[in-house]
Amino acid sequence: MIVLEYILLIGVIVCAVAAPLCKRLLASVIVYMALSLLMAVLWSLLQSPDLAITEAAVGAGVTSILFFLTLKKIRELKGTDDE
Amino acid sequence: MSKDRERARFTRRLTAWVDGEREPKDQTLFVMEQHPPRHVRQSEEEFQRREEDRLRKFFNWYPIAAAVICAVLVAILLTTVMSMPGFGEEDNPINNEVSDRYLEYGAEDTGSENVVTAMIIGYRGFDTLGESCVLFLAVAAVMILLLRDRKNTSELEVRQIERDEAEAMSHEDLILKQVAWVLIPFIFLFAIYVLLNGETSPGGGFSGGTILGAGLILFSAAFGFRRMQVLMNRRRYSAVRTFGLLLYGVLYGLYIFIGANGLPNYLTGMILLIDLAVGLVVACTMYGFYALFSRGEI
Amino acid sequence: MLSDILQNRYAVTAVILFGVGFTNLMLQQNLLRKVIGFNIMDSAIFLLLASLGYIDGGVAPIVGDRGFDPLYINPIPSGLVLTGIVVSVSITAFSLALIQRIYRRYGTIEMRELLERAKKEDD
Repeated sequence: MIVLEYILLIGVIVCAVAAPLCKRLLASVIVYMALSLLMAVLWSLLQSPDLAITEAAVGAGVTSILFFLTLKKIRELKGTDDE
Repeated sequence: MSKDRERARFTRRLTAWVDGEREPKDQTLFVMEQHPPRHVRQSEEEFQRREEDRLRKFFNWYPIAAAVICAVLVAILLTTVMSMPGFGEEDNPINNEVSDRYLEYGAEDTGSENVVTAMIIGYRGFDTLGESCVLFLAVAAVMILLLRDRKNTSELEVRQIERDEAEAMSHEDLILKQVAWVLIPFIFLFAIYVLLNGETSPGGGFSGGTILGAGLILFSAAFGFRRMQVLMNRRRYSAVRTFGLLLYGVLYGLYIFIGANGLPNYLTGMILLIDLAVGLVVACTMYGFYALFSRGEI
Repeated sequence: MLSDILQNRYAVTAVILFGVGFTNLMLQQNLLRKVIGFNIMDSAIFLLLASLGYIDGGVAPIVGDRGFDPLYINPIPSGLVLTGIVVSVSITAFSLALIQRIYRRYGTIEMRELLERAKKEDD
């Protein structure tokens, strides 16, 4: 169990470092989504299932959808090289 | 006589100023001493050059200063963390008599076996009331920023939206539709299960509400805005949202009143009802964000 | 030193996440990335709070008919974080809406161009 904990913690840090370094904004948002999912597993390891349910629905679902819609509105979704 | 007229004029000027019709700059509403300009105004190019210089200097120095601040902050926080009480020990200062009390009497006091739900709905319901207001206001603020009407929408945008809709209608997204057809009943079922069983199992208003909102978002994305309009139009949306918040306020007020005065509580499922109200507010918030972001209307 | 870090692993992770998020918030030029950094800071705070309430060998605080016999974790941080997560969504939605308006007004979300264009319009 403790090995899983370490893996998850390191994964969270890696995602957090990688998310803003991605070249395309779409990739950044997807990596942030992965961070949210890892956090949801961490909550259930910390014995707070309420948090796990909410984080899985909110962090990986609603927040990412809002980010995607914003990307669509600011016309960054088509893979452009200039940004 | 003249005093009355003076006052009437003052009131009229004040209302005009509040309405934004006129600026009170050199009126008598407030008087500022006017200094003559101290410097001789430099020429336009000089001014421009100086401004650009300042902007460039700012952009040169800002990253260095920001990096130093971040490094110092992280160093301070790390040294603080090193002297924190150990992780997961039972006699940490955070595990004091408050949590013991909640765990011991929570089920009796509020009738909810899940102590987290008992805490956020029962013991600390005012906190949740404030949070429901925050969600309500967040939707209102996003509405102010993104709601479309005839004044702030150009012809081009309207045509763009119509074209998108026609395209979505002409070749339908088959995979999304089929998957949604299978998944949506289960999502709604799960949401209602989580919402209604917040007392005895993990879940409750916040979790159930977000799942319900996610289900509404999936429905809206898969079957189009038109069909969503049948289920939830603008009037119904604001009615449900306001009803949820008011229901929460009334029920929690009743809850406090009964509890504080030692009256018999005939409504045993009070926590359940309050949870339901929170769930309504949260679900409406989530769906409202999606609708405003995607189309600019509800 | 290392044993301290391993002992307080959640708090150390939270501090690192907070630092990464704060650095992004300050140094990124793109407004959307700033928002992502802000969200990472949110996650860091939630992680720290939730890890404070954990007790080794504890179970989730659903009392039921098990009585006070097993060791339960502290329910207070869980409740606080639960409200915090939902509020963080509304903060994110509000800032994204502001970004959309900024894009509609100035046509860019890069900080540098934005400042220059805003300055040009001021003159």
